[in-house]
Amino acid sequence: MSTITATLDTDRARRLRLALTALLAAVVTVGAPFYFAPFQVFQLTMVLLYAVALAGLNLLVGFGGQISLGHGAFFAAGAYTAAVMLDRYDTGHLATLPVAAVGCFLLGLGFGVPALRLRGLYLALVTLSFAVFLPPLLKRLEPVTGGSMGLTVDKLQPPAWSGLAEDQWTYFVVLAVTAVALLLARNLLRSRVGRALLAVRDNESAAEVMGVRLSLHKTLAFAWSALFAGVSGCVYTWVIGFVSPDSFSFVLSITLLAGLVVGGLASLYGPLLGAAFVMYVPSVAQDISEAAPGVVFGLLIIAVMFVAPTGLAGLAGRVRGAAVSRLTRTTSAAGDRTPGSEPSAPPTPADPAPVDAEPVGAPPRTEKE
Amino acid sequence: MTEPVTDSTETTGRANAEPHFLKVAGLHAGYGQARVLQGLDFSVARGEVCAILGPNGAGKTTTLRALCGMVRGRGSVTLNGTELLGRSPEQTARLGVAHVPEGRGTFNDLTVEENLRIGAHLRTGRWRRDGRAERAAVAADLERIYGYFPKLRQRSRQDAGSLSGGEQQMLAIGRALMLRPSLLLLDEPSLGLAPLVTRELFEIVRAVNEEERTTVVVVEQNAQLALDVAHRAHVLEAGRLVLSGPSQEIREDGQVAEVYLGVSVRSGKGG
Repeated sequence: MSTITATLDTDRARRLRLALTALLAAVVTVGAPFYFAPFQVFQLTMVLLYAVALAGLNLLVGFGGQISLGHGAFFAAGAYTAAVMLDRYDTGHLATLPVAAVGCFLLGLGFGVPALRLRGLYLALVTLSFAVFLPPLLKRLEPVTGGSMGLTVDKLQPPAWSGLAEDQWTYFVVLAVTAVALLLARNLLRSRVGRALLAVRDNESAAEVMGVRLSLHKTLAFAWSALFAGVSGCVYTWVIGFVSPDSFSFVLSITLLAGLVVGGLASLYGPLLGAAFVMYVPSVAQDISEAAPGVVFGLLIIAVMFVAPTGLAGLAGRVRGAAVSRLTRTTSAAGDRTPGSEPSAPPTPADPAPVDAEPVGAPPRTEKE
Repeated sequence: MTEPVTDSTETTGRANAEPHFLKVAGLHAGYGQARVLQGLDFSVARGEVCAILGPNGAGKTTTLRALCGMVRGRGSVTLNGTELLGRSPEQTARLGVAHVPEGRGTFNDLTVEENLRIGAHLRTGRWRRDGRAERAAVAADLERIYGYFPKLRQRSRQDAGSLSGGEQQMLAIGRALMLRPSLLLLDEPSLGLAPLVTRELFEIVRAVNEEERTTVVVVEQNAQLALDVAHRAHVLEAGRLVLSGPSQEIREDGQVAEVYLGVSVRSGKGG
């Protein structure tokens, strides 16, 4: 009985805490553009935008157990879709979003085909080739893409009724897109498709004998993931107002993957943390060393992975787990010292499970047989 | 034509004279260069529990894998008249064959309930017309599985990776039952489990077989235990059938069993 009420209590406390955190997060995210300077608001906007791409990559890498070094290509496809539509056909900004999303979904379906046969490093290489071959292609298609000069298009403009500055309006639009995208990713994972995806990552052959069609779910993972990257790219065009092949070199793909791993694979809010990392750390690195920001950036990635192997999202849990285990260890040690108190001493010094129970992204697996 | 020794007229003429539900004929299978199965013939009647016994490397697991499509085979395997060979595991599952793989194959990052729901994956397609009825049926089946395995109900929100070996095996069997299979393939359910747990598992398999009339093919090292539950048994040795018949006869044929199974099946202690 007491355990039941205890669980009810913790459940209610947890729900309350969750509601409070959500409220706080809402206040902060809505209040931020009124508090910060325009440039900082722009940076926050970029974090939100990258988080969409990372959430997509997370579906594929974190939850799907596959790998892609070519997501910059889908990002670029989304960005160019928006830019070309705005430049040539003068459609509104909003119209570009569904086109970029659907286009990249289909592109992802097509490029997902190699994922059926390849895994691990081989898949990484093939997907890297998408990213490598895209910029030259964009330069060649000059009549449409503007060649290496790129395209300059209108940024988002705040409507008069809103009374907001350009940076604030842009921030809120991107915030809306990101919120919808992250919710969609979350719901996708809890659906039948998401369950199948996780099952395939955990144990491919067991999933298959349960009737999960591997080919379908692997390509779908690619397609969904490409859709998110495309949406992110599309919004990038809205925010920056300029696209050129050099904005989407293969470094972008690698940065996306690094951001995801640093933020936390297979974690729901890892993409946000990862996006903040890829947005802010390069400028921090620039401050530390003018000469070699890349080196500092690299060292910081190593440092994060050393301290938090499960990514920044797992860090909080690890710290809490370590604190709890230390606490129980000291109490049990104290109990041992007092004679006659053996029955009250905790039976196990520390349960290692909470420490390890953090979401650990499964690295792409190789078939054992 | 003379019948092969494996399927003597004596056994075919016995009580279970039902049509052959699962019929395996001339099954060859292997991995790359290694040919493991060299022409297997046996059949299983509907509603029967059939044990496949034999020493390590005899091809027991390979037989199951060939049946469920994980390993390519030559020859013929028909389930209720439908050819199974040449189908993918996923297609075979659609025909109602549920395979509980060796080493359980639970999805450790999913909760117990999510694991069970994966078992019903094929029944819950999003665009099915009878979606609502089927969802209710899946919910009812979840209850049914929890009825068989009360421990799973207690742990339904836990990650499968946190279960004990016995609980994982229960989960794997429960997950397979969620498919509502007509043929259940169990690969070494006793692997790595305590004898008491194994016995409990086999009792549940017997209950499932009796209540749902699910045909079961179980591969087992523990011959004693398997013979207790199975109606019929086939003994494999180096990819061939060497002995076949009702469990009772196999058990009584102690000498043969001792030779091929490496255990004395008559002593109550088992292997």
